[in-house]
Amino acid sequence: MNIITTRFGILTIQPQDELLFEQGLIGLEDCQRWIVLTDSKNPGLGWLQSIEQGHIALGVVSPRRFVLDYQLHVERDDLHSLNLTTIRDAEVVVVASRNETGLTLNLRAPLVINVEKRRGCQVVAKDAHPIQFAINTPTVSLKRTA
Amino acid sequence: MLVLSRQRDESIIIGDNVVITVVDVRGDKVKLGIDAPKEISVHRREVYEAIQRENRQAALLKPDDARLLDPGTGSPEPQ
Repeated sequence: MNIITTRFGILTIQPQDELLFEQGLIGLEDCQRWIVLTDSKNPGLGWLQSIEQGHIALGVVSPRRFVLDYQLHVERDDLHSLNLTTIRDAEVVVVASRNETGLTLNLRAPLVINVEKRRGCQVVAKDAHPIQFAINTPTVSLKRTA
Repeated sequence: MLVLSRQRDESIIIGDNVVITVVDVRGDKVKLGIDAPKEISVHRREVYEAIQRENRQAALLKPDDARLLDPGTGSPEPQ
C-alpha cells in the first residue's frame, strides 16, 4: 500500500509494519494506524507517521536519552489494549514538540508500544512529569566544544 | 448542567457502569473515587486538555525542527 505524506513523500508500507493505536492518541483520536520511520540524519529520533492522515507525524525519542532516571507509573488497566504478556515487551517513547521556547518532550503522556504485537497506546503517567520538558541542547553543545 | 448534592460516602452512577463516590471533603477540596470499566479512561480535565493541545502541536513538527534533538548536529550557533 502507498501513502502520501507531507514530510516524507510517498511511502510504500507493508501490512505487517503497521502499528495499531486502538484508541488513537489524545487529541488525535482519528489516527489509529501508524508506521514507524527512522530519521536518517538523527539515529536517536523516530517518526510515527499516521497512515490515515499524511500531514500528521510525531517525532519520538527514548526518554532516557534526555532524562536518565525517567520512570513511568501507570494503571495496569491503561495498558490493556496492548495485549502484553510481560511488561518487558513494552517499549516507551515520548513525543517531541516545538514550542516558543524551543524543543520540548512530553514526559507526562508517553507512548507505550508492544513491538511484538504491533500495538500501541498513549498513557497519562501517574507521576507529575512535565508535559513540556525543555531540552537544553545548546548547553550540551557548549560543553562538547569547550 | 445537572447539579446533585452528595455527602461523604455517597455516590452517583452514570450510565449503568460508572460510579463516582465522594470519598472525602476537606475545605474546598473534594476527593472522588471513580469506578469505571477499563475501556473508559478517566483523567484530570486540565491535564487531559493540555495533552490534547500538546499532541496537536507536536503533530506539526518538521524534520528540520527535530534536528535540534541531536546534540551533535543541531545546536544553534555557539555564543
